[in-house]
Amino acid sequence: MNSIIHTENFSKRFGHTDAVDGVDLAVPEGAIYALVGPNGAGKTTLIKMLMNIIRPTAGSAQVLGVDSSKLTGKAFERIGYVSENQELPEGMTVGGMLDYFRGFYPTWDRVLESQLVRQFDLPLARKLKHLSRGMKMKAAFASSLAYRPSLIVLDEPFSGLDPLVRDELIEGLIELAPETTIFISSHDLAEIESFSSHVGYLEEGWLLFSEEMSALSERFREVTVTLANPAPLPTELPASWLQPQTADCVLRFVHSDYDEKATARQVAERFPSARDISYDPMSLRSIFLAIAKAGRNHSSSAQNQTSAKEAVA
Amino acid sequence: MRYSTNMVPFHITFRAGVSLFEQVVYASEKAMVSGQLRPGDPFPSVRTLSKELKINPNTAHKIVAHLVNEGLLETRPGIGTVVAVLPDSSSKQRTQLLGHEIEELVVEAKRLGIELAEVLSSISAQWQNLGGDKQTRAQALADKPMDGGSKEQ
Repeated sequence: MNSIIHTENFSKRFGHTDAVDGVDLAVPEGAIYALVGPNGAGKTTLIKMLMNIIRPTAGSAQVLGVDSSKLTGKAFERIGYVSENQELPEGMTVGGMLDYFRGFYPTWDRVLESQLVRQFDLPLARKLKHLSRGMKMKAAFASSLAYRPSLIVLDEPFSGLDPLVRDELIEGLIELAPETTIFISSHDLAEIESFSSHVGYLEEGWLLFSEEMSALSERFREVTVTLANPAPLPTELPASWLQPQTADCVLRFVHSDYDEKATARQVAERFPSARDISYDPMSLRSIFLAIAKAGRNHSSSAQNQTSAKEAVA
Repeated sequence: MRYSTNMVPFHITFRAGVSLFEQVVYASEKAMVSGQLRPGDPFPSVRTLSKELKINPNTAHKIVAHLVNEGLLETRPGIGTVVAVLPDSSSKQRTQLLGHEIEELVVEAKRLGIELAEVLSSISAQWQNLGGDKQTRAQALADKPMDGGSKEQ
């Protein structure tokens, strides 16, 4: 499958801070790719580089087959970009703005435009500056979806919005998927996990993982081993066993490379006297926490970042 | 054909840690065995499922394809997807259910120290909940054209 976005060693340094540090990611065609990470992780910087608003200090990216530093007006006829603090022509009415933007996009779809206006309940005669935050975001969405772009890039589009507006916006997005590839950033996993197909986790500028949502839930399990006798935490555990802890006879860890047969064999070999071993599927949220903690432990123990990446990937 | 559906005709609250695919497939199957969805009833399109449940269109597609593949739904050209007449389970499927999944249930029950009688009475209560025995369901299906689609729940 073709990559709609593809980055290699994509990096941005501000002074002595690596805001984005050697990011390699690929967004396949038709994906809804969620870029998740805490505030300040570098999500907005990464997106601004992809949109050619700021320049990378190293590495490169291809967006719709074009080098991101060469993205110009023509390419933006096929890209929809909405950021958290989207600037809109505040003095215009909603209808006036749609009339105005319509002229820029050869692929503008009037039927879809009216459908979105209806679906979002947009007040065409009102000026943008008099709209609520949610309504402004809906207006921004309508004007970015109506030309059926090949790629939609959304930077924290749902932050500060009530769940009702958020649901309406998601419906608008799903309307265009999978013909349109969607790249969406969020600091809140819960708000995007149900409809995303791929997910990447960015922390302190580096991408801890990037993969298909279903693959991620498949390869993580919380393993609980009940031993015959109380035992201390074994040393030298495999790198893919995250967060090992013990209490008396119970040992628990997160397996980040789970495979039904191979893992059962591996764990049984390690603990031949185990009375019970259980493998429990984890919520995405706990998977993310386990990965984030593993990443932090590795960086704080002064190892280089590559080893932390290896542990979770 | 009665009408096309723009809503998801069964209830589902997503739980963490279980794949959305499995949860929606399960909710659909439950709606079908309990009679909430009956043979010939329209089943939501991929787009409707996706939009209403806010799930990825590919996941919605996989769900519908799976249910069609299992013989629970059938596609009718020009109409869409409708609930199929539930097939009699093959002997292989029966052995699977009566072997593997019953074993899991028994292991779990023994582990938790639940008595056999308790397990049996829970099973039987659940069985009644979902519309009684097979005879009753077959009867309900046969009665369906006569009651003109009246609401029963």
